[in-house]
Amino acid sequence: MLNILILCPIVAAILALLGAPARPAALLASLINLVVALLALFQYDKTGPAFQFVSEFGILPEWRLTYLVGADGLSLLMLLLTAIVTFAAVWVTPAVARLEKQFYACLLFISAGAMGAFASVDLFFFYAFHELALIPTFLLIGIWGSGDRQSAAWKITIYLALGSFILLLGLIGLYQSVPVAARTFDIRALQELAAAGKIHPASANGVYLLLLIGFGILISLFPFHTWAPKAYASAPTPAAMLHAGVLKKFGLYGLLRVALPLLPDAARHWTHLLIILLIGNIIYIGLVTISQKRLDMMLGYSSVMHMGYIFLGIASLNTLGLNGAALLMFAHGLSIAALFAIAGQVGRRTETLAFEDLGGLAKPMPFLGFAFGLAAFASIGLPGFANFASEILVFFGAFQSHVAGSPFFGFRLATVLALWGVVISAVYMLRAYKAVFMGELPGRWSALPDLKFSLRLPIVLLLATLLFAGFCPRVFLAFLAPSVKAASFRETLS
Amino acid sequence: MIKDYLPILIQAVVAIGFAASALVVSIILGKAGKRNPTKDTAYECGMLPEGNAQPRFSVKFYQVAMLFILFDIEIVFMYPWAVVFREFVRAHHPVIFWSMLSFVSILTVGYVYAIKKGALDWKK
Amino acid sequence: MMPAIYLEAIVLTLGVLLVLMEAFSNSEEKTPVAWLGIVGLTFVFILTFFTANDLSASPYSAFYHADFRAIFFKRFALLTTIVVLVLSIEYRGVVQKYVFGSRPQAGLGEFYALPVFTCAGLMWMASAVDFIMIFVSLELVTISFYILVAYMRRNAGSLEAGVKYLILSALSTGFFVYGITWIYGVTGQTSLEKIGAILLGLKVSHGPLLFGFMLVLTGLGFKIACAPFQIWVPDVYQGAPTPVTAFLSVGSKAAGFIVLMRVAEVFLPVPWINHKAVTILVALAALSLLYGNLAAMPQHNLKRLMAYSSIAHAGYILIAVACIGSRYANIAVSFYLAGYLLMTLLTFLVMAAVANQAGGDDIVHFNGLGKRSPYLAFAMLAAMASLAGIPLTVGFFGKFLIFYVAYEKGQFLLMGIGVLTVAAGFYYYFKVVRAMYWKEPADDTPVRTSPLTGATIAALAFCIFFLGVYPAPVIRALEGPPSDNPRLLAR
Repeated sequence: MLNILILCPIVAAILALLGAPARPAALLASLINLVVALLALFQYDKTGPAFQFVSEFGILPEWRLTYLVGADGLSLLMLLLTAIVTFAAVWVTPAVARLEKQFYACLLFISAGAMGAFASVDLFFFYAFHELALIPTFLLIGIWGSGDRQSAAWKITIYLALGSFILLLGLIGLYQSVPVAARTFDIRALQELAAAGKIHPASANGVYLLLLIGFGILISLFPFHTWAPKAYASAPTPAAMLHAGVLKKFGLYGLLRVALPLLPDAARHWTHLLIILLIGNIIYIGLVTISQKRLDMMLGYSSVMHMGYIFLGIASLNTLGLNGAALLMFAHGLSIAALFAIAGQVGRRTETLAFEDLGGLAKPMPFLGFAFGLAAFASIGLPGFANFASEILVFFGAFQSHVAGSPFFGFRLATVLALWGVVISAVYMLRAYKAVFMGELPGRWSALPDLKFSLRLPIVLLLATLLFAGFCPRVFLAFLAPSVKAASFRETLS
Repeated sequence: MIKDYLPILIQAVVAIGFAASALVVSIILGKAGKRNPTKDTAYECGMLPEGNAQPRFSVKFYQVAMLFILFDIEIVFMYPWAVVFREFVRAHHPVIFWSMLSFVSILTVGYVYAIKKGALDWKK
Repeated sequence: MMPAIYLEAIVLTLGVLLVLMEAFSNSEEKTPVAWLGIVGLTFVFILTFFTANDLSASPYSAFYHADFRAIFFKRFALLTTIVVLVLSIEYRGVVQKYVFGSRPQAGLGEFYALPVFTCAGLMWMASAVDFIMIFVSLELVTISFYILVAYMRRNAGSLEAGVKYLILSALSTGFFVYGITWIYGVTGQTSLEKIGAILLGLKVSHGPLLFGFMLVLTGLGFKIACAPFQIWVPDVYQGAPTPVTAFLSVGSKAAGFIVLMRVAEVFLPVPWINHKAVTILVALAALSLLYGNLAAMPQHNLKRLMAYSSIAHAGYILIAVACIGSRYANIAVSFYLAGYLLMTLLTFLVMAAVANQAGGDDIVHFNGLGKRSPYLAFAMLAAMASLAGIPLTVGFFGKFLIFYVAYEKGQFLLMGIGVLTVAAGFYYYFKVVRAMYWKEPADDTPVRTSPLTGATIAALAFCIFFLGVYPAPVIRALEGPPSDNPRLLAR
């Protein structure tokens, strides 16, 4: 089942490259994936073992390296996110002027890589699948990007390459920090080893730091974030949706799946560092976001800023905070994808995204204005959207984490500062809304067409999922609880 | 150990001694005639010492010289082979015979190739 | 099961046969020589699978080993030579232009036959465990390269390359032999096995032995093209005919590395050498990584870029050599080289095809290749991705193994430099990708390749992905099946 999720986009991409009609192939593949992901979600047995739909193929038995896919609640949620965002991204893709086959193939490869990374239970393939996206991203931004695409493409490629090789060192270190006889790439087995205390404590701190920096670069953690806004601003809309919505979640997923459950003590050891950095994400990047003068740059920075909340949930290391972080990953992925999709549509019509040129667009394009408003509210974290539910969990978790016994009062401070971050995001989102959709409409744009009905569907899909998850977060949290418990099991022990 | 190197030392002494004594003897016995430009020129196989610094030789010179060296050097291998041949065959195996035969046959191939390519044909 | 030594004999006979065939045939067309070479070498390649793996009882075992690694590198040499011959056929137009003789294809026959002799030398070197044997096979390789590098004798670049290669290679050989004499002077042995026993056992004088080892290391440093012995590399790579450049960068480097491994495995376990030798190897690796990667970044000519990249890859492999003693150091080196073979030869094949049409091998000539011939561009993309080290390609698995052994041995400095230089590598390899896909082509005509070249390109690209996902075949070839290997079961 999970193999279908991974193989379907790859097969479609190859067929498209070989000459099949590209757009229908991509749409069909992403539709199949969406259906399969939903099916998997419904078939998942919450009372059964954590990882289900497991299938494996031995690669190097003596290294215990296997192609091993399986899914628990957390990965299923991520797979669903990938499927929804891919579907939406492919759907909203406008006509591609040149190298159409390659464009869709790149999108599908990114999707396949994300699917593979989220479905892998083997460290090696977990890592390798994520990197499948590297070349397509480079090509997507370089060939079909806008603005300063060249330097953006170089920057994201080299930055992510550096990050992923640091991550590789961390993973190698993790593999080698268990006794020789027990070494394995199987995450399940590693979790058992960690529970039995078999992971060498001496190297744990160093390994965790490598993982944190490696994943951190991929997530755009505060001092390593500079690649993200520019790349998202220059990338073609579907690429920005996939990258900001899905791929960036890979690093967070990795922290939740690998770093925290396997190295809980080291995670605690580096908590303070993480808190300082994530405050940088929320406050510093938040202020930077306010000062942006273009819609796409603002969205890029806002996606960097919101990573801070997810980090806060992860840093809290308790069930509440981790649940919140996991749900927020899902919610943020949907909301930022919707925002980029709308911004892309606006940009196509007006051919500029600078705030000073825009204004009053809600009049000719009521649907886009309404949808942008909803997505912006979701992004700020207004009640009713999934973002609200998860951010509340994150804040409660983080605040509680202090009570759990640390003398350092950083968590409280961080929570309070992060709450101010919500205000900051309200400021920039509303300002952007006002600058783009309210105010005086320049005459040349009075006849701009609103979104075609068929193109409204993907955006509605994204927003509806957000609302559904906002009103019934329990449905999703039920999936998350077991896997998140595994991540914070040490807390209950100590 | 160091005694084994005595012959080398002796050879070195003899070599240096010979060169030195040749110089010394020529100074002592040679008639110190009057120097003139002709006398000071380098004497080399009767060739004129003046002319272009990089005269053009026919590439045939090198070809023949290289072939000569190639086939000449091989004799060096045959000499020790011939010396140990009888004992080796008695002690081990006639493999030593076949190995030399294969060596010579490779040489023959090279020779045939050289002829076929016209390396020994001076006029070509 | 036949003894491995027959393989070399067959290859040599094949070479002699090719030369004679060329000399005696009156045909103008010389391509059949290459075809016969390809077919013959493929036959030998198949034979390697029916070769006895151990020669413990053989009379040659003092100077000739046929372990898994030796057989592996024999296959490596054969495969390289086959691809080089394919490449030579593709490239024959250029060679013809610079070697005019009495007949249009005069001189091409030897261009096809000489690589076969080089191949025999490489195969021999894979098995050589005695300094004399190593030296003789090294010379067989080097001398045929002297001719090949300067083959296009009316081309100033090729001649310059030839002279540089001749002088520096002869110098390095001098270092190598001088080192051997010092080691022989101390131990009284040329067989590596016996030298190892003496080093571990009796008291030997440290200074002279270390001096000898360093000289050998210097000599090998030239062969594997690591800094600071890299000065010859860029000019020679750029000047030599493309097939020869490919052969040099793969074959010559692999030969250097297998000898380095054999020598290092004898010297590094000795406690008083280990520390110093590892320090030197670390320094060499760090220098090569930094120099190769940084100097590659501003290059405009793809052949020159590949020269610097070859220095950089020597640096990566040296990381693993410095980690000898780790269980997987040997696998890491060999696997990396196998991956390097695939991706480098693929690059040169595509380069030759493009250069034939565009008339040059600068990166500019690749502009818009993605539009002109998507298949070639995709193959090149695979090669570049693998060279840069993107997962699910063979190049990544090689780098993974390298970092794996480095972590195991605690070489954190090298790991740091390695990660930084990998990021630098992304820049210059992706420059080619950028040219192929971002830029507009100068003309839209597709690049034509012969069916043979096309098939070889497809096979190499397939192997890059296949071995990147499923590396087991290579590791089996190096280690034997898991049941044969008590070491692995013991884990």
